[in-house]
Amino acid sequence: MINYCLSHVLDFKTIGTVGVSLSNFPWLSVSILFPIISAFVIPFFPDKGEGKEVRWFALIVSLITFLITVGAYINGFNVNDDGVQLKESVNWLPSIGLTWAVGADGISMPLILLTSFITSLAVLAAWPVSFKPKLFFFLILAMDGGQIAVFAVQDMLLFFLAWELELLPVYLLLAIWGGKKRQYAATKFIIYTAGSSIFILLAALAMGFYGGNIPNFEFTHLAQTEFSQGFQILCYAGLLIAFGVKLPIVPLHTWLPDAHGEATAPVHMLLAGILLKMGGYALLRFNAQLLPLAHAQFAPLLVVLGVVNIIYAALTSFAQRNLKRKIAYSSISHMGFVLIGIGSFSSLGTSGAMLQMVSHGLIGASLFFLVGATYDRTKTLKLDEMGGVGQKMRIMFALWTACSLASLALPGMSGFVSELMVFTGFVTDEVYTLPFRVIMASLAAIGVVLTPIYLLSMLREIFFGKENLKLIEERNLIDAEPREIYIIGCLLLPILGIGLYPRLVTDSYLPSINSLVDRDLNAVRSSTKYINFANNDSVPFKAPSI
Amino acid sequence: MPQASEIAWLIPVFPLIGAVLSGLGLISLNKEINKLREVVSISLISFVGISAVLSYKALYEQISGYSAVEKLFVWASAGDFQIPMGFILDPLGSVMLALVTTITLLVMIYSHGYMAHDKGYVRFFTYLALFSSSMLGLIISPNLLEIYVFWELVGMCSYLLVGFWYDRDGAAHAAQKAFVVNRVGDFGLLLGILGLFWATKSFDFNEIASEISHSIASNNLPPWAGLLLCFLVFLGPMAKSAQFPLHVWLPDAMEGPTPISALIHAATMVAAGVFLVARLEPLYSIFPNIQLIIALVGTITCFLGASIALTQMDLKKGLAYSTVSQLGYMMLAMGCGAPLAGIFHLITHACFKAMLFLGSGSVIHSMEEVVGHQPVLAQDMRLMGGLRKKMPITSTTFLIGCIAISGIPPLAGFWSKDEILANAFISFPIFWFIGFITAGMTAFYMFRLYFLTFEGNFRGNDKDLQNQLLSDANIVLEEENNELDHNHGAIHESPWSMTFPLIFLAVPSIFIGFLGVPWDSKFVGLLNPSEALLMAQSFELNEFLPLAICSVLVSSAGISVAFFAYYLNKIDLNQLFASKFPSLNKFLVNKWYLDIINEKIFVKGSRRLAKEVLEVDSKVVDGVVNLTGLVTLGSGEGLKYFETGRAQFYALIVFGGVLLLVAIFGLQS
Repeated sequence: MINYCLSHVLDFKTIGTVGVSLSNFPWLSVSILFPIISAFVIPFFPDKGEGKEVRWFALIVSLITFLITVGAYINGFNVNDDGVQLKESVNWLPSIGLTWAVGADGISMPLILLTSFITSLAVLAAWPVSFKPKLFFFLILAMDGGQIAVFAVQDMLLFFLAWELELLPVYLLLAIWGGKKRQYAATKFIIYTAGSSIFILLAALAMGFYGGNIPNFEFTHLAQTEFSQGFQILCYAGLLIAFGVKLPIVPLHTWLPDAHGEATAPVHMLLAGILLKMGGYALLRFNAQLLPLAHAQFAPLLVVLGVVNIIYAALTSFAQRNLKRKIAYSSISHMGFVLIGIGSFSSLGTSGAMLQMVSHGLIGASLFFLVGATYDRTKTLKLDEMGGVGQKMRIMFALWTACSLASLALPGMSGFVSELMVFTGFVTDEVYTLPFRVIMASLAAIGVVLTPIYLLSMLREIFFGKENLKLIEERNLIDAEPREIYIIGCLLLPILGIGLYPRLVTDSYLPSINSLVDRDLNAVRSSTKYINFANNDSVPFKAPSI
Repeated sequence: MPQASEIAWLIPVFPLIGAVLSGLGLISLNKEINKLREVVSISLISFVGISAVLSYKALYEQISGYSAVEKLFVWASAGDFQIPMGFILDPLGSVMLALVTTITLLVMIYSHGYMAHDKGYVRFFTYLALFSSSMLGLIISPNLLEIYVFWELVGMCSYLLVGFWYDRDGAAHAAQKAFVVNRVGDFGLLLGILGLFWATKSFDFNEIASEISHSIASNNLPPWAGLLLCFLVFLGPMAKSAQFPLHVWLPDAMEGPTPISALIHAATMVAAGVFLVARLEPLYSIFPNIQLIIALVGTITCFLGASIALTQMDLKKGLAYSTVSQLGYMMLAMGCGAPLAGIFHLITHACFKAMLFLGSGSVIHSMEEVVGHQPVLAQDMRLMGGLRKKMPITSTTFLIGCIAISGIPPLAGFWSKDEILANAFISFPIFWFIGFITAGMTAFYMFRLYFLTFEGNFRGNDKDLQNQLLSDANIVLEEENNELDHNHGAIHESPWSMTFPLIFLAVPSIFIGFLGVPWDSKFVGLLNPSEALLMAQSFELNEFLPLAICSVLVSSAGISVAFFAYYLNKIDLNQLFASKFPSLNKFLVNKWYLDIINEKIFVKGSRRLAKEVLEVDSKVVDGVVNLTGLVTLGSGEGLKYFETGRAQFYALIVFGGVLLLVAIFGLQS
């Protein structure tokens, strides 16, 4: 306790005296604009060939962006504060209420760091891209800025713009560098996401205009507005569809296997590592935070959908014979835990959801990178055409095993902690009735059995057994090269770090999650109809104290 | 130097450091590390050696009366919840630490000889060190959650090691089966842990027990709920300790290298389930019903394992089913409310079963010289025989192991098994009777293994028999046929690195039982002094002798039958038994049909279900989407707008939406 106070005082002092200049630095605006502006330098690059200079340039830019976000975290972010920090606000178009408002609270900060981190690695993973490299890296860098913007903006209209801005690069990256069915996949992607984001715009406009003549879309303003329950439910439903497509929630998921199935490895890393997290982040930010009354009623649905995601996607993944699609479905399955966590009304469960996003960002990116690296060698994604590859590619086998074990939530790795937190938070939380919790937890735990079934079968079919003679004759199965080992190493390090000591990450967002959950709990209490304190006699309800 | 008990957390850390270092070396400097194989193995052995020294010091401290040590820190927290982690060192833990480090060290030394020519020598040692680290961590875990963490980690090591020879299809399937079946158990364990946490707000063994008994006494928790949670938690040990019906993975796991079968699948990891039940004894003792279930499961397992072992022709599989059976005895002890008897049997069994497995490894190692590296041939006892003269050390230690496991006094197995049977006699006489019969079966099948392997004439050069065995197993050896012909190695005794662990383990196999004699049990005295006193006081020779004499008699009967049938060849069991009861024989040969049921219902069933879900996904869910797309595209003019003017089309929708919204809210106000 004393330690805590001391550190608090010290923090205060550093900010008060030494850190003035640094904490006033517009960290977030720079981290958004720097990669975008740098991207526009790329067309003026003299080289026309293989793009050696361009990729170095992109790598340096993405690394600097990463450093900027780290700088923002170190210099301007106080982990004990539950509010929005690193605030910058400039009136952009006052007539329509659009403000350039950026900032970060505990929910955005880890995801901003994740974005810049994964993007740097994706650039490194894109080293062999030789087809139109300039355009490729231009799009990657533009996406970097756009995605940081999605997590950092504090204005709903601006959020919508950033959300849309990030669609275009992904569409082009899919349509130009994808596999055989790339046009179909890209079109499906754009129709799904663009179509569903209409709901974001509608909700944003409705919420911004609510109650006053002067539109105001800033989150702080929206958070203070007392929306009526009916209005909240309407907005919530719309936003749930929009974000449900992104996360994705079954049955809005069918764009994902196609998009993931066709994307190249670096794009794939970004899709799985960051794009899916936008859905989870937005659900937390808007549905859970801004619309608590509606959340109180929709949360059970989220939990049910989460369980459906886990089981349904795990089964489809098991039956898939295409490696990329298999992993894509496993992503969907893992996102189910995010839904359960968000719907859990407990700070443990919700921070588990948050951790699951970070964790899956790392694990998903690593698995998809490995899929790409394996495809480069085998030139096939069909499991039936592989087999016994492990004897030629031993290190690759080891990396695959490590990442698959991380994905099946082996203790000591981040996935285990986040799933455990979601489970524990959901089970111990007294808002839901006991039978509901028992049934949902048992069903979700079936995922614990299904995940190793499909992941280990996959490993077995790729690497174990007798060598596939046709494959080794036709293809040059070289083992992993240092660049690939380095990328996986960079991803495994935080995976293990979080798994061994989760407070590395959880401490940074806990205050924000606590206040968010508090708000939701108050909403649950106020709508008495929905309270089912199941066992008042056995365990007294404890609200998280802050 | 600080007390070893205070720094017990270092015990799992040392092997971990070794494993991480050599693992990183394998990834980054593969060729160099593989050249330095001896350096790596010696340093890894030293890392485990340091842990062993610490463990023995801790054990010594506990014996001389140092109090138990528990240290915790907050690992994760949110809101009011805190998840603590740390370590506990108590007498039970210190005994287990000493046992695990000793056997790990011996197995590592053994592996140096057994794996000498294997390409994966360094990888093997790395996995071994990783396993010992996880297993040691499991032992010093102070709460259920941390146990679960290490529980999974030992499972992972088992997966990696069973699948060590990953070019074999059998190994690949066995590894996956081991992991998945264990996950089925962990499913229950996880739910049970969560439920107990919900009911008690704690993961701590003792706190859980006192909270649960308190809630039940005050009617806050219905007894059936407590019972259900206890059963869910028990699913974990059922899978890990290969209890019926989740035992199916263990015999398959014999696809791994033999040192692994000795270390993980006989002595240490499979005992983790028994260990966890012992840790949860305060909780289980609240519910007599769950104890009955545990005892029942243990008895079924014990009988089932022994009955299947009767007909096994594969040396390692025979030992594996024997392990299943012995684990059943331990579980039976847990169910009878005698955890100390179970743990004592765990320790004696670890010594002689590790020795037996290592002995079988020694046999297989030298059989491979004659029949080649095909496990179907090298492990089949129909090709062995007469090895005693060529392998004196192996055969002597194997014989000691057989006597020990059969329960002939004064060897180790007699004391521990008799203790369990005595407890069963008091608690559940029916289970005692089944356990008693099983003891006779145990003696028979163990000596059957011994006589078939080491006595009689060597049958390994019989080519017809070899081909027959190969065709039975559906194996076509095209390339290796040549190898078979070249192979004219001879049976020989294994190198010192393999015989030394055998000799070392023979000592405790003979003598360790004296630590647990019922009238003066040093073992119980360490773990629970008051109970030892009680035992010594209530000991009466009149009660002890009849039971002891009975079990010795039944074991001797088993041995005699084996002696007449397989050594003197006076009795033809085939004619006497198998041909008269063909269905029963078939039942046993097919392992009670459990593997087939498992394959048909669970494996095929889950495949079919998954396929159907995928069909639904691609035809129905995605079908609707594509249909919508088609309809839109098909609507003539719409197509053009869509393709050429996406932006305008999009803006139009947005514009329309805004208008609609404005209209709605305009009307409202």
